[in-house]
Amino acid sequence: MKALLGSFRPGSKNSELSPLQFFGKHGISVAFVLCVVIFSLATDRFLSADNFFTVVMQASIIGTIALGVTFVVIGGNLDLSVGSLLSFATVLVVDLHDKVGPGTAIILMFVFTLLIGAVNGYLIGYLRLNSLIVTLGMLSAIQGITLVYSGGKNVDISDQENTWFAFFGREEFLGIPIPALIFIVLGIALQIVLLKSGFGRKIFAIGGNGTAALFSGLRRNRLVFSTYLLSAFTTGCAALILGSRVMGSQNNVGEGYELLVLAGVILGGTSLLGGSGSIIRTVIGVLILAMIQNGLLLLGYPYYTQWLVTWVVIIVAVWLDIAAKRGKLLSTY
Amino acid sequence: MKVQISSIRTIRSFGKTSLIAGSLALGLSSMAQAETFRIGITQNNVGVDSYQTTYEQAFEEAAEAADNVDAVVLDAGGDVARQISQVRDLIQQQVDVIIIWPTDGQAVVPAVKRAKDAGIPVVVTNSNIAEAGQPLIASFSGPNNIQQGAYAAEMMCDQLGGKGDIVQITGQPGYTTAIERQKGFEDRLPEVCPDVTILDSQPGDWNREKAQRTMEGFLTRYDNIDGVYAADDNMGVGALNAAKSEDRADEIIFIGATNFAVGYEAMERGEYHGSVYQSPAEDARNALNIAIAVAKGEEVEKMSYFDTPKITRENMDEFEKPVF
Repeated sequence: MKALLGSFRPGSKNSELSPLQFFGKHGISVAFVLCVVIFSLATDRFLSADNFFTVVMQASIIGTIALGVTFVVIGGNLDLSVGSLLSFATVLVVDLHDKVGPGTAIILMFVFTLLIGAVNGYLIGYLRLNSLIVTLGMLSAIQGITLVYSGGKNVDISDQENTWFAFFGREEFLGIPIPALIFIVLGIALQIVLLKSGFGRKIFAIGGNGTAALFSGLRRNRLVFSTYLLSAFTTGCAALILGSRVMGSQNNVGEGYELLVLAGVILGGTSLLGGSGSIIRTVIGVLILAMIQNGLLLLGYPYYTQWLVTWVVIIVAVWLDIAAKRGKLLSTY
Repeated sequence: MKVQISSIRTIRSFGKTSLIAGSLALGLSSMAQAETFRIGITQNNVGVDSYQTTYEQAFEEAAEAADNVDAVVLDAGGDVARQISQVRDLIQQQVDVIIIWPTDGQAVVPAVKRAKDAGIPVVVTNSNIAEAGQPLIASFSGPNNIQQGAYAAEMMCDQLGGKGDIVQITGQPGYTTAIERQKGFEDRLPEVCPDVTILDSQPGDWNREKAQRTMEGFLTRYDNIDGVYAADDNMGVGALNAAKSEDRADEIIFIGATNFAVGYEAMERGEYHGSVYQSPAEDARNALNIAIAVAKGEEVEKMSYFDTPKITRENMDEFEKPVF
């Protein structure tokens, strides 16, 4: 039993590793260090505490969402609705801020965000509909809801200087920006949940082999449902950060974020087929993406360089991951 | 007078009746028509943002105020196929002029050609259609994005006193509006202020959060930034947010190329310095006036821009706060 559980834990140590397996397991960390070294050598602006926290802060919105989505993906599903859900949640919390006060606004935002997560979870968990189709549809549906709600207007917080809502996006604790702190603390908490709790192990089980998990007595429908609640929750947290940082929102603010989130998760080595993955590696994946963006900007490269470099990094990461699994760089058949 | 029709089905039947009525009238008397012009408009996507919503209201008001206009107001809901069929319906109704706010500058060209072939002149409003469609239209009515960029350059020059280092945050790469506002700014700046240097230029994708991130990068990279030019105030305020969190906002001049409510408010607080005022009501009235002139058979400019004046802290009292 102990050994079986071990196989669910990507972080656990194996005694013998070929170089290829080492890269497959730790390639993401190597890539991370490599990025830091390259950018530090290229520009003296890069390696400073200030810029480090800027990168973590910029990664925090995408990253916080990616934490929840990692659970969804490990469970064998996808969530493409998080980008528009982020737009919706941010528009909602910012708009309600002036109407009902920050506290109530935050509560209402989480209620509605979790409600949408629950709809996703019900359709995919209980009705067993394909997650790609459900969440892709949800992506447009939420966009529509947001538009109807806001009437197309940008929303803003009028008194930006004196609201405690500024805490989530604009303040610091011991020199660490709060967005970065939310991201890090939530990341550590969810890593513990994933690796140390029964819930986490069950998610690995349903993602690895849903039928087997079902026959082992796991309630797959409820577990899948809860992963979507979780991704909606972390998206709500990201909306707090975004709304507070920008002190306003627009209907398309999260447009395309679902793919950035997914890129971070994939870069972290979480299998799109489900059953394996790790929160810490997702965090590193998202940080690498943010670092590429920040580093290339500091070096003064035009924006399209970022797209190209990001693409290359993802392809190499996925390739190494697959190569490590089959033990060879190239496929022979 | 105005006729508003929301469903295509009704338009079709309406089109048929008017067609019958039209041919009857044609049979009875040849050219004894009253001086009323039927002007049909198919809009891009009303309700998607407050600019388009205000535009529609202003258009209807202006059409009602003009006693010689009978307006058919349609909305394509952002759907190009729907827009094309709306143009067909308007042709069938034999309106005098069709105004079109393109959902897609390329895909509507065949519909425009169909209208022209049917002898109905087309006025394009707000955003222009593709190059291939240019010979087919009677006129384009809308803002001059190049001029807006140039105005921004002049304001930047004034505010900096002719000297300084600035950064630029552009719109979404590939979008005509983004390209033109950048070109207008970059062409005009060296003419008025040869000593102002653009240090760097990155896209903000019309997204305030993205603009904020971009500005954070600029602030890390450059120890001295004297000014920021953003292609609209939404992004400009994102840049302002970033500078404020680094306590560097006081030393920076912020200029946008389209005034938004947030920019207007920041200007009131003295944190934002200049922008270009683009009124959706003016946009709508200009389109209607051009269409009336076309219907009357008058000569109109191919590019009939409406005025988008500079707005700064000094003259902002003359302008209402933008609705968007």
